[in-house]
Amino acid sequence: MLTLIWKNIARRRSQAMLTVTITLLTVTVFVMVLGVWQTMRQGLALSRERLGADAVLLPKYAAADGGDLLFTAIPENIYMPAQVIEQAKALEGVAAMSPQFYAQTLALSCCEPGDEARIIGFDAATDFILAPYLEEGLDAVGADELIMGSNFDADYVGNSFLALGRKFRVIDRLQPTGTGMDSTIFMQIGVVRELCLASDTLNVDWVGKNPDDFVSVIMIKLEDGVDPQDFAKQAEEVGLDAQCLLTGDTISALQAQLDVTMRVLLALCLAFLLIAALSLLGRFGALAKERKKEIGLLRAIGVQRGQVFGLIIGEACAMALLGGVLGSVLALLCMQPVMGVLQEAFNLSPSVWSLRLALSCGGAGVLLAGMLGFVAALIPAAKSASLDPQTAITQGEVA
Amino acid sequence: MEICKLENIRKDYFMGEPVTPINGLSLTVNAGDLIAVEGPSGIGKSTLLYILGLLLQSDGGSHVFEGRAVSALSDKEKSALRAQKIGFLFQDATLIQALTLRENLLFSCHIGGKTAVCRKRVDELLHRFGLEDRADFLPHQLSGGQRRRVMAARCLIHRPILILADEPTNDLDEHWSVEIMRALQEEAQRGAGVVMVTHNSRWAKLAENRYDLHDGMLTHVTNKENEKQ
Repeated sequence: MLTLIWKNIARRRSQAMLTVTITLLTVTVFVMVLGVWQTMRQGLALSRERLGADAVLLPKYAAADGGDLLFTAIPENIYMPAQVIEQAKALEGVAAMSPQFYAQTLALSCCEPGDEARIIGFDAATDFILAPYLEEGLDAVGADELIMGSNFDADYVGNSFLALGRKFRVIDRLQPTGTGMDSTIFMQIGVVRELCLASDTLNVDWVGKNPDDFVSVIMIKLEDGVDPQDFAKQAEEVGLDAQCLLTGDTISALQAQLDVTMRVLLALCLAFLLIAALSLLGRFGALAKERKKEIGLLRAIGVQRGQVFGLIIGEACAMALLGGVLGSVLALLCMQPVMGVLQEAFNLSPSVWSLRLALSCGGAGVLLAGMLGFVAALIPAAKSASLDPQTAITQGEVA
Repeated sequence: MEICKLENIRKDYFMGEPVTPINGLSLTVNAGDLIAVEGPSGIGKSTLLYILGLLLQSDGGSHVFEGRAVSALSDKEKSALRAQKIGFLFQDATLIQALTLRENLLFSCHIGGKTAVCRKRVDELLHRFGLEDRADFLPHQLSGGQRRRVMAARCLIHRPILILADEPTNDLDEHWSVEIMRALQEEAQRGAGVVMVTHNSRWAKLAENRYDLHDGMLTHVTNKENEKQ
């Protein structure tokens, strides 16, 4: 019977091609949607895991969006008085605290990155964010040195780099974080303040002000067991001159947005699957109908009902699986450029779209194809198997 | 030796109104019999063959195959008997379209569990029916006559004990009609029971027993010896 299944597919190629194409397209869409969904979910999970800070204090009236601040490298020139650091030290439950000072490079100037990039000045003495992503750990960073995020070319390391008109030596590059840090340049906090003061091209006017008196954000790590919500409430109650952004909330909000988007995508995908299932049902129904006489012949020469059922199901599943394998391969090939776009748009870590995840999505696509073929062929196969042989051969005539 | 026996068989259809093409029909097929059934079109000759071939269940009477009541056989048992002991030559040229001629013949053997035994016989029958150079052709690449010859080969390939031939010489020229009829006669001589339905009295006369199907019953017309006399 396996031979007959194979010959039916191979020698009725145009019919088989149509079925394979329907399945191929369906599986391609399914695997891509599944791949994007899983990548985004894992990207967020990775970000939650890697972010390091439980809370971020930022200027009270800053219009900075939490998602932009944490997950993209969109330059946000926001500042608040440095005394917030002292106020924050008085809060209970703080395990570690590190201030950061933001600036930005200018677009399209010679020897600088093509787009605007965020420059973060960090305090090496208190920092707990960068060290986990540096292979050698965080050594002292000199006044003419900087560290780059993983999205910058590795060739920069060891070479000089021009930022805001000053030449720096790139001493290290972070491992992928899946956050905005991947597209950020890190320098000593004092150096960034100096650059801002000296620059006449930045949007922020520092005339009459001393950048040393300001910070952009304060990254806070809470002690074990401290509820971030309680900490935020405490910050509000003591009248902290800053707003408290909980990273978990931000990630949850992004997760919720993503879930809504993915639900819409999955609904469209399910609608597509339903259409594909109905198309396949029609295909297999037509296949069984046009072979009615042949099925009668098979029964006449001794093929059993179960074998007829198996023949139709086997042929349908084989075609669907072939379409599933091809569709999965096509989807995985298409995912490479799609992942590139997603990684750029959402600053996802390249490690999120792993071989394992790709194989899982592809495998799910093949499984779906097999199930689709099986379900769509069930009714035609059952009808064919229950055909009365004489009726099948004579088409119901009284011979 | 009795192969099958029909006694007082009835078959009803409902085609807008009740039709009973077979009504009170009795027939015994013994090993070595060559039986011809004649009658006008639509009278129920093919229905009789389908009943004999366990493809159609009668609505009344007794049907025994190799000593076993057919009504007591399961669908699986009937399938097995068809695969191993019954050979059909249908009125319409029906072949498995995705298989070559050789594969069609081997598939029939495979279903009957006789693949190994049949391999040599496939070449023998292809040669006998002038199809050796078409062995690897698909059915749609053949003429009607060639397809009819393949069907004859498929009918005989597994050496059935009961051969049911519905208008066996349809679509065939004189030469191949004679060859097919000769093959059926040889099978009867070998010990198979052969029942053929035909409009052609020339071929019917070759049978030892000729019956006319009329009003749902068989009437013994004559036999070969009588014809000679």
